[in-house]
Amino acid sequence: MSSMPDAIVKQDAKYLADNARRRKQFSLWFYFLCVAIALISVVILVVLMISIWSQGQSRLSSDLLTRSHSELEIERSGMWPAILGSLFVCGTCALVALPLGVGTAVFLEEFQPTNKLLRWIHGFVQLNISNLAGVPSIVYGLLGLTVFVYMFNVFGQIRVNESAGMEIMGYKHFYQVLTLEPGHVVFVPQSDPTKRQTTFDEPFQAVDPDGNSIEISIWTPGTPKPSDPAIRRQTVRAGAIGGTITERSWYYFRLPFDKSFLSGGLTLALVILPIIIISSQESLRGVPSSLREASMGLGATTWQTVRDVCLPAALPGIMTGAILAMGRAIGEAAPILVVMGAAVAKSTGPKHLMDDAVTMPVLIFNWAGRQQDEFKELSAAAIIVLLVVLLLLNSTAIYIRHHVQKAQS
Amino acid sequence: MPRNRKRAIGCVALFSSLMVAMAGCGSQTETSTTEPGSGTAASNLTGTIKINGSSTVQPIANAVKEEFAKLYPDVTVSVDGKGTGNGFKMFQDKETDISDASRPIKPGEFEACKENGVEFIEMPVAYDGLTIVVHPKNDWVDTLTVDQLKQIFVGADAAKKWSDVDSSWPEETIEIFSPGTGSGTYDYFREVVIGKSEAALRNDMNLNEDDNVLVNGVAGNPYAIGFFGVAYYEESKDKLKAAKIVNPKDEQAYLPTPENIASGAYAPFSRPLFIYVSTASLPRAEVATFVSYFLDNAPTLCERVGYVRLPDEIMQRAMNNLDAENAGTHYIDADGNSRSGAVADIYQPENLTK
Repeated sequence: MSSMPDAIVKQDAKYLADNARRRKQFSLWFYFLCVAIALISVVILVVLMISIWSQGQSRLSSDLLTRSHSELEIERSGMWPAILGSLFVCGTCALVALPLGVGTAVFLEEFQPTNKLLRWIHGFVQLNISNLAGVPSIVYGLLGLTVFVYMFNVFGQIRVNESAGMEIMGYKHFYQVLTLEPGHVVFVPQSDPTKRQTTFDEPFQAVDPDGNSIEISIWTPGTPKPSDPAIRRQTVRAGAIGGTITERSWYYFRLPFDKSFLSGGLTLALVILPIIIISSQESLRGVPSSLREASMGLGATTWQTVRDVCLPAALPGIMTGAILAMGRAIGEAAPILVVMGAAVAKSTGPKHLMDDAVTMPVLIFNWAGRQQDEFKELSAAAIIVLLVVLLLLNSTAIYIRHHVQKAQS
Repeated sequence: MPRNRKRAIGCVALFSSLMVAMAGCGSQTETSTTEPGSGTAASNLTGTIKINGSSTVQPIANAVKEEFAKLYPDVTVSVDGKGTGNGFKMFQDKETDISDASRPIKPGEFEACKENGVEFIEMPVAYDGLTIVVHPKNDWVDTLTVDQLKQIFVGADAAKKWSDVDSSWPEETIEIFSPGTGSGTYDYFREVVIGKSEAALRNDMNLNEDDNVLVNGVAGNPYAIGFFGVAYYEESKDKLKAAKIVNPKDEQAYLPTPENIASGAYAPFSRPLFIYVSTASLPRAEVATFVSYFLDNAPTLCERVGYVRLPDEIMQRAMNNLDAENAGTHYIDADGNSRSGAVADIYQPENLTK
């Protein structure tokens, strides 16, 4: 009994009270510190928003949403082609990255092998994916350049006046020949696609825009030149050169992809793939194993369990990850600059699968670097539009997620 | 369960159809309405023209494309701006029809073009001036000679303090702002102050590709100095002071005003901007039409985007070269060495090297 230390037997009331007060104070300080830290990020965001808004709001007009980049009427520049381009690129990206990412996550989480070698491979893949999530996106840009834009040159290089790569469908080649009427050309269907240019010395058949055949005559310099515009439109100079032009349908398909929106979308898919895989894995891991065991206990196969139990339960989490990843994709400029180039003065969205596109981040990057104040204001306004588009896409996704969750419960 | 699946499938279908709908709705924008009374029906010329190269020339090419599109709406012109060096790389690989350049072609690039069988016509389209800027409070620098610039910008033993250049100047550290080493602007400045050697400028400068950063950097330090294209200076005149540069020929100091640049008085820091057109592409109707339109309109359009027009005589020489399809460069002599000097002296028919 008497061997107990004094401090335990006779407790110092003052010391205890002081200690309690100190601890409570410290706890209060810590609470305020946490609140302050949380507020800092909000304040930074609000300051950014306000500065962007004050810079850009004067340029938020219908011109900005309907017209394209203009060098000569800066104040009437717009970003419609860039909005379309971004939607196309991100649409491609989503269609590729979501199935691949979720599929990979399901394989890694639900189909874990028991064989030693396969387990090692499984671990190796897992390790790589975790590392890939930290790779800077410009590296993916360079990868996309090699894999999608040039395809290691296995399908031939795309060269002006020489080859258009390996064209697969949706194209018609014509020779384009200038007539005697300035600015008017006629088209001759191409029979031999390897011959990129041809010379016309004999009267020949051409097609008009409706596809009807028209007879084209030859004018030799030195002989009287026809003066009637209608005749001049059907006459070409002897020795006129026809260069190849290509009429492309919307499903025009060619290898390699060159600097098309498809290349951009596929590259972005690579950028966000690790993020999607990791977040999907996390949400699959969050599904209680009792659910899996119950399903297995009823005699379901692994695939049935995944399809009807795990995936529906993990879907909200998977969608959250997908939304975050798509938010990153729509604002990613570096890989797009590498893969699709820095052209901004395109007046339309993409018209066929192999068409190039302007995207919003690239346009903002270009405008922000211009010396004219109008362009700087425009870039701020374009940032606002980008954020609004992002919010719209995200709210659609969140609505769908909500809907799916409700349907399950 | 099946109902859930149907829902999920429905959602995916909804999302993808949304995308397709986006694609479906006419992606046509009204670029501009042709002025009534112009009377010319739009041409049915079509085709695709690929342009890449200097981001300095990009605005000029964009402006030409914009006006060209009003007359020839079916021709697709894509104007990229990956930098002069990258542009030439793509040009020699036959990836582009036209290469924009903010400096003449280099011997190495010319060799590569020859090896790949790429012939081109070299045409200057506008002037750009390099402005050397200091802080408005800098009252000791009014004029600078090329030698003084050498002292400030070149070598490991370059001037650390202003007093190292001129003992009457303040004993303060010089802070230097320069465009990135990949830009034609940096190349051009380097060539003027160092000459033909491949030596680099001093390595303790603040390099930035974004000219706005350079403007703000110089505007933020009374002891700073920097350089960039004249178009940027025009926009930030209120924040910066341009140094007069002593022309080595007549020993007079000149400001980079449009008049001085156009007359060639602002030497050696006024530079021509070029387009290089592949002769293999010229037989194509759309390329020929575009290039001659480019030359006809470059003087007026380049002024509208902040550059200085070339004298009519030089534009005429460029048109003659285009007409006669004189392939080759004027800036490299027969021995493969670069020529440097005023564009009026060098861009002469007798200097053409095939």
